[in-house]
Order: sequence, then C-alpha cells, then structure tokens
Amino acid sequence: MSTEVTNPVDAFIAEAGKAGASVFQAPKAEDAVVYLIKLVQEHNVKTAVKSKSEIADVAKLRERLEKEGIGVVETDLRDWLSQLSGGKSADKWTIGQVQELISQATGQKPDKEPRALLDAANLFVRQKCLDADLGISEASLAIAETGSLVVAGDEGVSRLVAVLPRIHVTLLDSQNIVPSMEDVFTKIKKGSPGRISQVMPVYVTYITGRNTTADIPGAVLARAQGPAEEYIIVIHNCAGGTGA
Amino acid sequence: MSRAMAERVHRALADENLQTALTRLLGLIKYVRGITFANLDFETLSGEIRHVKETSIANLPDLVEQFKLQATKSGAIVYEAEDAEDARGYISMVVHEHGVKHIVKSKSMLGEEIGIREHLEKMGITVTETDIGEWIVQLASERPAHLVGPAVHKTIEQVAELVSNAVGGNIGTEPQALLDASRQALRKTYIQAEMGMSGANIALADTGSLIVVTNEGNGCLSTTMPPVHVAMVGYEKIVSGWNDAAAILRLLSRCTTGMKMPVYVSHITGPSRTDAIPGSVHMGSGGPRELHIVLVDNGRWQMQETEDFREALYCIKCGTCLNVCPVFASVAGQTYGYIYHGGIGAILTAFQHSAEEAEDVASLCLGCMACRDACPARIDIPRMIVALRTGLAQETGLPWLSKMAYGRVLKHPPTFDKVLKVASYLQQPFVDKDRMIRQLPGSLKSLTQTISLPALSRKPLGDRLKENSSPGKTDKPKVAFYSGCVGTYAYPETCEQAMQLLKQCGAQPFYPQKQACCGAPAYFAGDAETALGLAKENIAALEEMKPDFIATVCPGCASMLKKEYVKLTSGEPKLNRRAKALAEKVRDLSQLVMELTPSQLPKPSRNQKITYHDPCHLKRGLGIFDGPRKLLEREGFEIVEMADADACCGFGGHVVLTYPELSKSILKRKIDNIEATGVDTVVTNCLPCVLQLRGGLDKRKSKIKVVHSVELLADIL
Repeated sequence: MSTEVTNPVDAFIAEAGKAGASVFQAPKAEDAVVYLIKLVQEHNVKTAVKSKSEIADVAKLRERLEKEGIGVVETDLRDWLSQLSGGKSADKWTIGQVQELISQATGQKPDKEPRALLDAANLFVRQKCLDADLGISEASLAIAETGSLVVAGDEGVSRLVAVLPRIHVTLLDSQNIVPSMEDVFTKIKKGSPGRISQVMPVYVTYITGRNTTADIPGAVLARAQGPAEEYIIVIHNCAGGTGA
Repeated sequence: MSRAMAERVHRALADENLQTALTRLLGLIKYVRGITFANLDFETLSGEIRHVKETSIANLPDLVEQFKLQATKSGAIVYEAEDAEDARGYISMVVHEHGVKHIVKSKSMLGEEIGIREHLEKMGITVTETDIGEWIVQLASERPAHLVGPAVHKTIEQVAELVSNAVGGNIGTEPQALLDASRQALRKTYIQAEMGMSGANIALADTGSLIVVTNEGNGCLSTTMPPVHVAMVGYEKIVSGWNDAAAILRLLSRCTTGMKMPVYVSHITGPSRTDAIPGSVHMGSGGPRELHIVLVDNGRWQMQETEDFREALYCIKCGTCLNVCPVFASVAGQTYGYIYHGGIGAILTAFQHSAEEAEDVASLCLGCMACRDACPARIDIPRMIVALRTGLAQETGLPWLSKMAYGRVLKHPPTFDKVLKVASYLQQPFVDKDRMIRQLPGSLKSLTQTISLPALSRKPLGDRLKENSSPGKTDKPKVAFYSGCVGTYAYPETCEQAMQLLKQCGAQPFYPQKQACCGAPAYFAGDAETALGLAKENIAALEEMKPDFIATVCPGCASMLKKEYVKLTSGEPKLNRRAKALAEKVRDLSQLVMELTPSQLPKPSRNQKITYHDPCHLKRGLGIFDGPRKLLEREGFEIVEMADADACCGFGGHVVLTYPELSKSILKRKIDNIEATGVDTVVTNCLPCVLQLRGGLDKRKSKIKVVHSVELLADIL
C-alpha cells in the first residue's frame, strides 16, 4: 500500500512524529554528531551503549562522545572486542586472545571455550545496557507508511540497546527509507547486518514511535518497559557531500 | 445456560468495581476507534486479511511443512504438540533439562489455553507475566478479562493495592508511580530468568520466522534476555511470508490500540548467534542460545477440516469483537468462564472443550452481529453460533422446554395461535388501563422485572383482517403484508396502520391468513427442523396470491424470509428456487414506501425532533440504515442522532428471557443514549425493538415516546 504523500522521507518523518518519536533532520553525518552531543548534555547522559552502526563508525561518534566525558560501550561482540583491544580488528584473534580481553574487561576468568566466553560477555554487556542512560542504534531501513524503524542483527544486544536505556537514539540514512512494509523484505535480505549462515538476520525489530501502556487504569502512559524518549536522526546526505 | 453462568453474570453485574472499570474501558475504546477508523479503508484492508487467512488455512498442511523445515534450518527446535497436555509435557522437559527456576513470560493466549503458567508453578517454578496488565491479573490470581487488555476490569485503587503488595511498599494511586514501580519490579525478573516464554502473533513459512508484537517492550526483553526462548504457536498463525504478515499487521494494531503499527514488532529467525569467537558460528550472543517452537494443535486441525467452523482460525486475536459486544461491555471476560471470550470464544471453546460447554458461552450471545461487521478478518461469528447450536441439537437434542416450545407449539401455527389466545385471556388481571403489564406473578415475575410488557391483543391481526386476505383484481402493486408474531399478537393496530400506509402509497396491500411465525426463535436455537417446517408454510402462504412485494415491520422476520430461508432450503432444489424468488420480493416497510413513492418531494419541517434506533437485523442483517432516516427527513422530521444508534437494545437472542438482568444493563445504556439527545420521540423500524424500548422507558417512568416509523407516517403521508 502506498501512502498518498509522494516523498517517502517526508512521509516517514510525519508518521514517526505522529507515533510519538522525536525526529531531527541532519543535513550531514557531522550535523547528527553535533545534535547528539547537544542531546546528551541536555539529558545529563553519563553512559551510553551502542549497537553496530556504520554511520557512527565513519563519523567517529564513540570517540566524540568519549571526549565529552560519556562512557560508551560497544555492544556488538566484534566491535566490543575491538574496543577492548584499543581498536584492533577482531578478525584474526585466537580464542586465547579473546579470553584475555574478556577477562580484563569483566574481572572474571571464564574458561577458554566459546560458551563460557559468550556467557561472560553477555552478562557484562547486558549489565551495561541496563545501566546506560542512552542507547544508540542504526536503522537498516525505515518505513514511510508507518513511521517504523527497522533495526536488524544476529545478536540479541541490538534489541537490548533499543529497549533498556532511558533514552534511545536511532541514526537513519534517508536513502534507506522505503515506502511500505512490503518493501522491507527484499531489502533486508540484501543489505542489512547479520545474516550469518542464513537469508534473514536473526532479529529484525520494527520500532514505531514510543512505547506505551494502557494497563494502568486512568491513562495511556509513555515509557512502559522501554525508553522514556525515542529520538530519530534522519541524515539526508550520509556520504558527507560525495554521495547523492 | 448453566446455573454457574447465570451466577457469574449476576456477580459481574453487581460488581461495582467491575462496572466502573468497564465504563472507563468503553470510553477509551470508543475514543480510539473514532480516531482509528476515521480515514481508514477498512473494507480493503479487512479484505486483504481475509484473503491471506483463507489462503493460508486452506494450504496449512504445506505451510506447516515449509515452516518446520525453515525454522529447523535457522537453528530452532520445533516440537508439534497434539493437545494442551502434550505441550505442557514438552515445555516441562525443556525446563528440567536446563535446570530452569525462573521464567519470564510475554502475553500469550495460547499459554492461557494450555494452562502453562499454572502447570509450571505447580512444579515449583517462578513464572512472571511481563505484560503489565497480565502481571496485574497474575498478582490478583485471576484470568485475563480481555484478549488485549487483561486487566481492563480493575480500578486504579485495586491496581495500587496489588502493585504495592508485590513490591513491598505503599506506591499510592498515581498511575505514573505505579508504572515506574511495575517496570522496576519486572526488570529484576528478566535478569534472573533462565527461560523466556512467548506466543507468536504470526509465523512465516518461507523463512521459519516468528513475529511477536508488543507495545510495552516486554516482548523484546522476554525473548532476548534469558538464554532459552520457548515460543508457543498455534498452527493457524502460520502464513506464507512477510507480505501476508504486513496485511495482518496493518489492521492488528489499529484494532487494538489505534496505532498504525505496534510499537515493537520482533521478527525472529532462529536463536541469536555470532562469528566473532574463533572456531565457528556460536549460538547465544546477546540473546538466547536455544529457541524452541512448540506448535500446538488442541483442536485446530479439526477446525481446519470442518467447513462450518474453519473461519474461526482466521482470528488474529485483536479483541475487536469484544470491544463492540454489548454483552462484553456489561460483564467483561471472566464471566464467560473459559479461556476465550465473546462469540469467538464460544466457537473456540467447542473445539478445546466440548459443544455443551460452548453452548453455555454462546447462551450470552444477542445475535446482534456487531462482532461480524467489526472483525478485521470478516469472521461471521453469529453464523457459526447458529451452526454450533444446530450441530448440538442434532447430536444431543434440544432441551425439553425448547423442544416443547418449538417442536410442539411454534411449528404448528393453529396450536401457537390457540396458546396465545389463552394467554391473552389469562393475562387480564395483570393488564393496566393503558394495556401494559407491569408485574406478573410467581415464576413469570422475572419477565416484567426489566421491562413493562404490552398486553397481548384479545383480537390478533388475522381476525381483524379477515376481509383483506386477498388483493383481488387490481392494477396496483400487490403487497403481501407479513406481520411477525410481535405484530400479530402484541401490536396488531400498528400492523393495521402499516396496511393503511401502503394503501396511501398507491399499493394494494393484503394479509395472507396462512402466514406463520418466521421460525427465527427456533432457527437461532439450533432447531433447523422446526425452522424449515415454518419456512415451507410461509413460502406457500406468501407466494399464493403472486404478490409484487412482501412488506415487513420486523427486520428479524425479514432476515429470515430474505436470507435464512434460502440457506434452510438448500437441500431441496425446487423449494430453494421458490425461496429465492420470495426473497427478491421482501422489503422493509420504509424501504417499500420509498420505492412506491419515488417522486415525493421533501416536506417542510414539522419542527419535531426525533432520534432513530437502528435495529440489528435491519442495519447489519439487511444493510438498511440510511433509507429509514432519509424517509423520516423527507417527511419533515429532524433527526438528532443518539450515541451508538446501532447498538443492540438488549432484546436479541434469548438473552431477554434467560438473563433478564443482563438485558436490562444493555437496555440501560441504550436508554441513557436516547435520553441524552433531549428529544421526546424515539423512532425505530422493528416491533420487537419497540417492545423492548417502550417497556424499558415505561419502567423508568420516562415521558419519551417509542414508535415504529409506521405509526408516525400513517397519519401524514
């Protein structure tokens, strides 16, 4: 079903706003970073957790936030290990090196076998998500029809970053806004993170507006079990002037 | 109707807290539906869901195979459970295997259906419901009152007490404080849990994925934080792929909360994984390492194979049918006594429990069809309820009283006529001067508790119209008048006015003397045999003089003549053709007046304000709601619309006889809405509605007059 508004970007922004999200438009990735820094200052954010995001990586968002005194934890396992190692690529590590990194971070000494290492990493990162003031995600896609963000990944933490912290901010490349729900499926299979050994990412989470509940009599209340605020930063020219 | 059901209905109606909560709920629902459906192409969207569900359920065996294959490929473990016990057994086994002590559970009606929480709790496992409404209901040791809003029956004070006790402190009655306390309490349980449980709103065959929908975020947390995820999925949830899911999602959320999409839609394909640890792909990264999908039958395959009830599987569990049900609005969900509520609950109960128990649930149905028209999957619940009763009557027979009433009396018009004439004699001591009966003695007392009754006429219509039994030779349109039982015995004068009105419109009306009861009471009670017998009598009586039209003043009768006779006679081709020919000629009187006087110009205003009540069988049965209003306006009346003009007056089904208290509560809302318009006349096009409204307003000693439109028009046209 196509929406009557011809421009999907405008339609998305309108619908997401109606659903309860706060939408900010950034001409370039750099504007998004500046906006985000202003946001963390306004909301007294001390700690943040971050999902996999190419936009953030290119804009060096983590480093910029750290400079502002914000503790930022990468939650994607590969990114986290890389963060722990001081920025080394995680591709050629031995299991011993992984054990070393996780031990140093968690203060525990998990066995040198994958299950134990994963358990230790999961517990540590999960706690960071529970404690964080801010969660930062990138949407693979967004749907104009409904104002929904589409966050994809094979690891569960992508969902915890979106739901557990007090504030959730999602970065979105305006080129990834599609008109309708049906458009998501083919695109998600082609171009999203995840998809280890299968067509679909394990988790595709559609987030529309702000979480609410009507279960307490008397009112429809925001912040049921997720964040109190849902921010979306739409970046119009993600490639920073060289793109379309 | 069982004694237990009558007792529950009585308790619900007497429960002030429940009634307060229900009033609040109704307001909220009305508000949400108002916004949601204002600019929505419901026809197209519900058509898409209907198509998706019809196709998926027809191809279900293939889709199930595909789903199992794909889900297994994604790393999930699929188990097929035959019934509730089988499902509980498997889940218990998984619990044992992992040494689980704490479980967080996202809302699942299937979970309720198989009684999983109670079962696990008996095993000593702590199970926490994570939907806040469901959690509140759990704290109160109750069952959910509504598919979507489990705690809609609770007041803020009750919730405050439950939450305060649960978290150990006095939280007060401020909603925000209660929510914050609930969230914090639930967060702790996610961290502790070794297993998460959920249902699935939709399952996709082509990728083996599950779709779990929540607005609070508890679905995401329950399915992600614990290391093991068990999803309980009814087979009917499987559709072919994401495009099908999109069609369902488009209306699901609009119907439940009024939003275009649920806040969180989780599309899950297999357990979480990573390739960041050297070696190979490892499951359990930031999410569960095991995903168990328990596909549950529990009567679903039987439903899939039974044509009459297959469409019950199209249900997307949005709760819309409950939101528009006048009975639900009076008694809420727990009263039904089983897992699923309302009309759809009756059908599901038949397959999960027994037809007898289902009939107990169905006994609450007014037959008003509000659910059918509001259903986003266009499920014809009222049709299935009749099918359920018909099946039950064939298998186990009717209750003796019904057998007597339908088989011995209703089926034989002369006997019926005699019985009512005797009654019209016996009633005399109780008839007031204005021909109303306000109090009956002894066991009949309950009949006059809700409404004052019209006295039965000492001279029924047939006796009054002996001279008008045939149209004679005429060029005018010949109109056979069908009066219906309420018209014949309670309101013969109104029927005479109707005949007069037809004459004024240039027609030649006549009264076929051999007409009988239309059979509706028997038909809706499942006595198809009696209904068919009466159909035969009426078809013969009404076609005899070759009328051009058949005029009715009772839309319930009209629906029988126009729609149900065609179905009832489907086994006899010749009779069926006659029924179809008859159906073509049947008109509601107001409709016929418009047809006979097409060039009548609008009359000047009479400066009289009226309000119009839509009879269920006229609006939803025959699709007529605009015409009667246009006619009244053409004749110079000004219509002030009441709220919920098309809500049932409470006369429907057998509810008025079996649950007078319930009928009274439904009638009260109707009368409140009538009074709120400030007019002094309420017009409707159905004599049974007139009976109910007049009787109710009389009990309230109201001055508002109730008339059939015929009574207004006969004087002026």
